[in-house]
Amino acid sequence: MRTRTGFAVLALVAALASAACTATGSTDDRTTLSLWSWRPEDVAAYEQILDTFHDAHPDIRVEVKAYKSTEYNTILSTGLTRAGGPDVMQLRAYGGLQPLIDAGDLVPLDDRVTGLANFEKSSLDGARGKKDGKVYGVPLEMSTFQIYYDKDVFAKHQIEPPATWEQMLAAARTLQGAGITPFATAGKDTWLLPLYADMFAATRYGGPAFEKKVLAGDVTFTDPAYVAALDVLNQLKSFFPKDMMALGETDVQTLFATGKAAMIPEGSFALAPLKTINPKLNLGVFNAPPPPGAVVTEPLQVGWVDASYGLNATSEHQEEALQLLQWMTTAEFGQQVADTLKQVSLVKGVQPADPLLADMVAAYRAAPTPYLMLVDFRYGTPLGSDLQAAGLQKMLLGQQTAAEVAADIQAGISQWFRP
Amino acid sequence: MRRRLIAFWFVLPAFLLYTVFAVYPLLSALANSFWRWQGTARAGFAGTDNFTGLFTTFPLDQQLWPAFWHTMAFFAGTMLMQNTVGLLIAVLLAELPVARRFLRTVFTVPYLVGGLVVGYLWSLLLSPVFGPVGAGLDAMGLGALARPWLGDPATALPTVILVNAWHHLGFPILLFGAALAGLPPEYGECARVDGATAWQRFRRVTLPLLLPSIGVISILTFLGSMNTFELVYALSGAQGNQPTGPGGATDVLGLLFYRIAFAEGGTNAIGQSSALAVLLFIATFVVAVTADRFIRSRS
Repeated sequence: MRTRTGFAVLALVAALASAACTATGSTDDRTTLSLWSWRPEDVAAYEQILDTFHDAHPDIRVEVKAYKSTEYNTILSTGLTRAGGPDVMQLRAYGGLQPLIDAGDLVPLDDRVTGLANFEKSSLDGARGKKDGKVYGVPLEMSTFQIYYDKDVFAKHQIEPPATWEQMLAAARTLQGAGITPFATAGKDTWLLPLYADMFAATRYGGPAFEKKVLAGDVTFTDPAYVAALDVLNQLKSFFPKDMMALGETDVQTLFATGKAAMIPEGSFALAPLKTINPKLNLGVFNAPPPPGAVVTEPLQVGWVDASYGLNATSEHQEEALQLLQWMTTAEFGQQVADTLKQVSLVKGVQPADPLLADMVAAYRAAPTPYLMLVDFRYGTPLGSDLQAAGLQKMLLGQQTAAEVAADIQAGISQWFRP
Repeated sequence: MRRRLIAFWFVLPAFLLYTVFAVYPLLSALANSFWRWQGTARAGFAGTDNFTGLFTTFPLDQQLWPAFWHTMAFFAGTMLMQNTVGLLIAVLLAELPVARRFLRTVFTVPYLVGGLVVGYLWSLLLSPVFGPVGAGLDAMGLGALARPWLGDPATALPTVILVNAWHHLGFPILLFGAALAGLPPEYGECARVDGATAWQRFRRVTLPLLLPSIGVISILTFLGSMNTFELVYALSGAQGNQPTGPGGATDVLGLLFYRIAFAEGGTNAIGQSSALAVLLFIATFVVAVTADRFIRSRS
């Protein structure tokens, strides 16, 4: 029996190998580019999108290969150093692509892709080398983070999206009195905690103005305004689920989508999953009003660049790959990212298809604030976002104070961060 | 000479496979741990910096020891459960006249499922919102006992240990079962004739004869615990960026390694994670060999 299985496997491998040979060895003179992504769920959409590119570039054929998101970094960093790697590949943003730049795996695109002019400077920052300031990727899409609310639940309890902090707390009390969890927050998926902190309290520390000061070295994370901002989550703790630390992102998405919670702080990327859990959800979005003592008096919209496409330095098809990257800077591609991939494209002038996404982007364009730890403090280890996530979890468990969390963040970041 | 030559050719494939797939990776990890890395490129000789860095760099210095002690507790708890509950079930099964094989299979089934799957299933069972464990306690009027098992720093590690013991219970049952079946029945019968009670027979006759099995189970549990990863990873919701569990309550060495190597994206990830891997290997190797020697000398 075992031998027979062995032979079957061998036969299968042989068959696959010969199939692969015929596929790559097909005799047309088109150049095949290999494109890598960390979103296997998007492969079909990419193939559809790339048809447009193939029509305009009959001599190039792009093959999409996707790997699991959680394994992608490892696969990519080894793939770039050997044969059989990608020509063009999806890159993590900000600090996430620095190791690849440091290792010399990527080609700077500033002078090679003229279409980069179709992006705002802040979008290009997501794909910039920290040391040389050069752009190594064509920005693909961005995310925003805000509070979704269930319009039906709000209407049932006669609540309006709050304009002030007090109104928000009053709404939360009303909901809690009715047995509904006000905010569906997850403490088990700790990566969400820094986002909660920025979403509820970037206004408290000052948003982009604080970012500038802390990058210049004028303030540190032990600044009273930043400590107070961290402490805002403590003040909201009673409105979070009682078992928050045992709940993950999907748990709280389900709580919200099934009406057990009225609001959920979530990313633009959660729109699709929320609608999958409950297609009848009647959703609205708002940003947290500034808490007492806030430095910025109007709500801010948290946002950041998620991904870009870069060029493998060892690719044998530099010319063709640059043509593909140039096409990725066009409104034609950007619109497909919005319509087919259902993401927020960063190409100037492209509008998201979903009106709710359009609201988020409009809010971001009007009053943006960075996801501070991701955008600026992931260029060295320990990562700022990891320090903050671990610290906030301890703070919400009552094991650390906001001041101690801030001190730990500062201690970790100061190991590698030079203003 | 001819015989030697033939033997050589027979040994060669295994030797090559072992060298390529076991010796080479181990040696390369050792080599990697002495270099400073920039992504996947070597950036200069680091000496022992990667090793000392584990103990002195914030926040690693605050994570290494808790992770170590959690791993030890994980080992101690699991070993205790296996050598008590596992042994008890094996003894009861051995005495059982019917359905012995069936029940042994039933107890062994979880052992055949991967740790990720077991962890995921238990995280669902224990979910305070949707999990049947909390609902069941509620239904029995014991709702006050229901708690966020994995979300409370006080209960998280014991819960993980219990799930792990449950997961691996089939192994001691099989091993003790085989050992019990191999015991010469004369010893027990002699004791019975001499008037020993069932407990005395177990305590004075069966248990001493089972000591080698207890040793084997303890060593294998130690090896498994030092390398444990997927169960804790899945129970904590599969994210590897920060110390696992509420306030880092279930963080173990395997997860610390995973963080350094894959999750944090540090440019020196290869050097630092290799250093931890080398330390882990040495500790595991030394303890396993010493314990094995000790057990052999005693039996």
